[in-house]
Amino acid sequence: MRLLRAAARLRAAVAWVASVMAHLAGWNYLACALFITFDIVARNFFGFSSRATVEITGYMLACGIAWGLAHALAARSHIRVDVLVNRFSVGVRAPLHLFALLLLGGFALFVAWAAYSLYQESALFDAHDTSALRIPMVIPQGIWLAGIGAFVVMVAVLLLESLCALLAGEPGRLDTLLGSRGADEEAAEAVQAARS
Amino acid sequence: MIAVVFLLGLLGVVLFAAATGAAALPIAEILMLIGVFVLFFGSGVYIAAVLGVLAFLTGFLFSDRPWWNFAGQTLWGPSSNFVLVAVPLFLLMGEILLRAGLSDKLYRALNVWLNRLPGGLLHTNIVSCAVFSAISGSSVATAATMGSVALPYFKGTPYSQRWVLGSLAGGGALGNLIPPGITFIIYGLITETSVGALYIAALLPSALVVGLFTLLILAHGLRHPLPKPPPLPLRVKLAALKDLLPTMTLIGLVLGSIYGGFATPTEAAALGVVGAIGFAALEGRLNFRMLNASAEATARNTALLGLIIFGAYLLNYILGTIGVPQALASLIADLPLPPWAIMACIVALYFALGTFMEGFSMIITTVPVIFPVVVALGYDPIWFGVVVTMLVEIAQISPPDGTVMYVLQGMRPKPGGPITDVFVGVMPFLLAYLAAVVLLMVFPEIALWLPRIMQ
Repeated sequence: MRLLRAAARLRAAVAWVASVMAHLAGWNYLACALFITFDIVARNFFGFSSRATVEITGYMLACGIAWGLAHALAARSHIRVDVLVNRFSVGVRAPLHLFALLLLGGFALFVAWAAYSLYQESALFDAHDTSALRIPMVIPQGIWLAGIGAFVVMVAVLLLESLCALLAGEPGRLDTLLGSRGADEEAAEAVQAARS
Repeated sequence: MIAVVFLLGLLGVVLFAAATGAAALPIAEILMLIGVFVLFFGSGVYIAAVLGVLAFLTGFLFSDRPWWNFAGQTLWGPSSNFVLVAVPLFLLMGEILLRAGLSDKLYRALNVWLNRLPGGLLHTNIVSCAVFSAISGSSVATAATMGSVALPYFKGTPYSQRWVLGSLAGGGALGNLIPPGITFIIYGLITETSVGALYIAALLPSALVVGLFTLLILAHGLRHPLPKPPPLPLRVKLAALKDLLPTMTLIGLVLGSIYGGFATPTEAAALGVVGAIGFAALEGRLNFRMLNASAEATARNTALLGLIIFGAYLLNYILGTIGVPQALASLIADLPLPPWAIMACIVALYFALGTFMEGFSMIITTVPVIFPVVVALGYDPIWFGVVVTMLVEIAQISPPDGTVMYVLQGMRPKPGGPITDVFVGVMPFLLAYLAAVVLLMVFPEIALWLPRIMQ
């Protein structure tokens, strides 16, 4: 029990960090839009361009995706095909949730490993892009790697809490941690946003 | 489950073809892939993880190359692609507009013009959904936004509940078809097709679907006449147009810059975000909280798409190295069937998949394998992109698992009545949508004519 409470606190802390990272990722997209707009205006009216917009906004996207991954998991937004799983009783459903998370963890680890080797390679060959700024690839790829790393940590703490909950005989908890958001929830969110 | 039966049938056809055709086909691979697919999807695994694990299994079992050495580049490439930057930007624009209070005014203004037609407010549902689709790339967002605005108007009116819900679901399903939709961006990215050309090709089919929906409602309105509201003076009608101005300006800015050739879709999306912020400011709705909420939602939705893209690109890379799409394409091209029959099978496959899979995941998992087949059969990639998008939209309104319908059901004033109201109500619109797909198969020019003359 004490272990479960500790795991829950740990998960909440990581989720808080992930949420901050995702907000940064979101504002980064806003910056992206402003940057591209500035480039269009500058190109058409003042005859100059950053000549690196395509590359930089591409990096901003890659980093934005990576930095949003952990939060999307904590917010139960990653897509699962759960037509069947939701028809089982909670006793069957809970281990399946854990199995799904375990597989996701394996995949996340592989992605992190792949990102790390790419980063290593770029560092080894001192790779630069072909834009006017000749940006060293280790900068965007390093930020990207950090986001994927956070995703792996998020999966790990969720695994820990789910396992503890399962052992403590609280399978219902896995539903609230991992179950997909229902259409009701999505609709309620959209309506709330429209009326806010 | 229609879908399961259909998949089993398809499997039978493949086996039969392999047994008779005696082609050197990786049957074991295909069977294993399908098996793992079904097992994992049944147990509710994350789609991205399914794709990743499939990639792993395929890679270790059937490839003798060190494919993992290219994994980093395979993941980095698409996720830092400038074309894909349009996705978060269109999502962000939609999130800001959702919070900018434009939808209410849009509905009211259109209503002033349309409510005396036979079918009345139902026309407003379709047209306002269509207009909102032109600034939003998502069907669920379109249905949720317009539904939340429209449903209160129908409270205590003699309109048939089923038609109200059906028209909103049908209209919502226009979200991704009417440009700018994010489905086209993903399709363009996977198949290396021009997103701008896809947007142009989608124009006439969109008009066709809206036209069919309108005819449907006219017919319903004529058979079940309702008392008309009193006519409004022209001055009031013209004044209402003022409320349409922000939306129309934004459509002009985004689509005009793409169609006029001034901007790529990504640049148009950036202009759209800035425009949306501008209109939110004019409405007095622009503040930190609202932008922060939009940013969070955009980051979350982009991340979930990004993770699936990771898995899909990994799988596609490995399938590509062992030549599965090519083998499948040549197998199907050798079948003793005319191309249109195979195309009909593909359409049926998407329709079946759509009853239990979410549209975006469906495209990204199937198009890489199906696309070479389609090209080998001699079909136009742009035409197929439009057809696939229409099928994805149809999937979202096909009972019993269409997302759009559950969104609408969730928004009905309580107590709302059974979900079967939505299922029955959406049927005429579903059939009209399918009719449009059939028309597009018989007359491909509906999609291809505009891109050709605009080049």
